[in-house]
Amino acid sequence: MGTVFVENLKALFDAVSAERELYIPKNAGAHYVYKLYRPDEEAVFNEVRVCTPIKEFLFPIRELAAVFPQEEDQFEVKPFAVFGLKDCDLRSIEILDNVFKEDDFKDPLYISRREKMFIIASDCTEPAENCFCYLFGGKSWAEKGFDMNVSPVEGGFLVESGSDTGNDFLAKAHFAQVQPGQIAQRDENRKKADQILAENNAKFKLDRPVQEIVEGADGEQLYTAQAEGCVECQACTRVCPTCHCFYLQDTKLKDYYGKMKMWDSCMRMSYAAVAGGENPRKAISERIKHRLLHKFSYYLQRYGINMCVGCGRCIDAESGKMDLRRLLRELNDEVNRK
Amino acid sequence: MTQHKNPYKPIDAEVIDIIDESPTIKSFVLKPAEPIPFKAGQFVELTLPGSGEAPFTPSSSPSQKETMEISIMKAGRVTGQLHDIPKGTTLGIRGPLGNGYPLDKFAGKQVYIVGGGVGLAPIRSLFLALVERKNDFAGIVCRYGARTPEDFIYKHTTFNEWPNIDGVNMKLTADQGNDQWKHNVGVVTTILSPDDVKINNSVAVVCGPPIMMKFVTLKLLEFGFKAEQIYLSMEKNMSCGIGMCGHCMIGKYYVCKDGPVFTYDQIKDYPKIWE
Ligand code: SF4
Ligand code: FES
Repeated sequence: MGTVFVENLKALFDAVSAERELYIPKNAGAHYVYKLYRPDEEAVFNEVRVCTPIKEFLFPIRELAAVFPQEEDQFEVKPFAVFGLKDCDLRSIEILDNVFKEDDFKDPLYISRREKMFIIASDCTEPAENCFCYLFGGKSWAEKGFDMNVSPVEGGFLVESGSDTGNDFLAKAHFAQVQPGQIAQRDENRKKADQILAENNAKFKLDRPVQEIVEGADGEQLYTAQAEGCVECQACTRVCPTCHCFYLQDTKLKDYYGKMKMWDSCMRMSYAAVAGGENPRKAISERIKHRLLHKFSYYLQRYGINMCVGCGRCIDAESGKMDLRRLLRELNDEVNRK
Repeated sequence: MTQHKNPYKPIDAEVIDIIDESPTIKSFVLKPAEPIPFKAGQFVELTLPGSGEAPFTPSSSPSQKETMEISIMKAGRVTGQLHDIPKGTTLGIRGPLGNGYPLDKFAGKQVYIVGGGVGLAPIRSLFLALVERKNDFAGIVCRYGARTPEDFIYKHTTFNEWPNIDGVNMKLTADQGNDQWKHNVGVVTTILSPDDVKINNSVAVVCGPPIMMKFVTLKLLEFGFKAEQIYLSMEKNMSCGIGMCGHCMIGKYYVCKDGPVFTYDQIKDYPKIWE
């Protein structure tokens, strides 16, 4: 797969958006959010992930999942591209793929979008304070899972293709060749960013596998302490790029009936309550614990990877009260004391 | 464009008959637009169009192909509305979902069935499937309890037909009896005895309200059943029914996909399985 050089992002964005809708990061206060690219738009390079989770593109907050009675379903998804996904974002897509593309049942809406999504990843040049991908095998740049990846170098950007679609695009686009030394420069930048991640996360490093920690710690006190600061806003699960709970809501449409698929949250009080009234997770602390066990034990046992990519969005969303890294580190200490 | 079969989309099912079973339970005879072949213990998601959806395990025999029977207890909003629909209503149905009872693993063994309340619905389907291939098993022993004699469902079959089937041993109990009640009075555990079956060559199947399943399971363990011999039909909050939405989890298991039938051994170490 090839690598080329572009002087400015605008050239890249114009070429991509000529073929499909392109979503790019836009500054919104201290964060980035996604926005449809138009040629008169300023082309910004996001040095770190966008604040909203990538799942929004594949699994919207609310969508019509079925219409009935009716013969055919039409999920018309136009090809689209998204720029600025980071390594953590790509890993979050892998996590969702496992759920929605698992063998016996497949989610046709998710799959239609997934097939139409052209992924343009980019290196993190300034990992944020709350980024802890480093603790879970992540890093500031991606090796796989993208159609193209963009890395800033002096005077422009390297664009590497990572799939056949990416290759085809670069072959047609006629960008400049890579200059000697540019690859080395890119690798040097990556090393620096990884170094920042390592430093920021040094004090949170776990000294045993995270599965062993969440399964081994009783956590009663720690979870209860966390629960005291929780106002049940469910922000952590909404911004989380891997949380994928939803519920189906029946609705009446003009001529038909429909099922709406809407995001849900395991942090919600009645999330697990049954019609008879029983609820296995009445206390907030039980819900927090379940959430951690799902991410670091249950999901892992099922699919072989953790259901957390360490993007730190939940910490951002929590205005500093709940910090997953700190909680895991404290649970780790509890297990150590046993 | 790639077309995938949409697992969220129900097919039509017409309600062709409604039977009042007890003050709180009605059975609905459904005729789905296309047959839904299922194994005993598997479930379906039933949609009241425009209103809501809930999971139910059919009570009819899996070999009955054209129609399917579902018994519904009035417990919440959707089940309440279902109790009010007339014959001829078109409902939506998705399924079959879940694993069902592993009848092949039961072969050669005595099947010890313990049911409570509306839990008799899935058990009826299992019972009928077992009776159809009776010779594959070392016997069917059934213990069933309900709150009062009025709360018994499938009254005709449970009182008159089943006890007379060759190879079937049946006992009934009501928490509170009445003047005509000829059977045992007491909760279902009061009609269980370690001599009901040869424990080392049997499997137990338990289905009913959570609290009943809990006490029956403890009783069976006390009798000497191993956790892996006890099959439980678990009920959890469900939405998608296909292992995606997360609602029904017991530990690493999705009740909707890996269950609803679990051995006690599979789930015993997870917190609050009975709630
Ligand atoms: S739990 Fe927090 S850190 Fe982990 S993936 Fe979700 S948002 Fe990112
Ligand atoms: S009901 Fe959705 S995962 Fe089981």
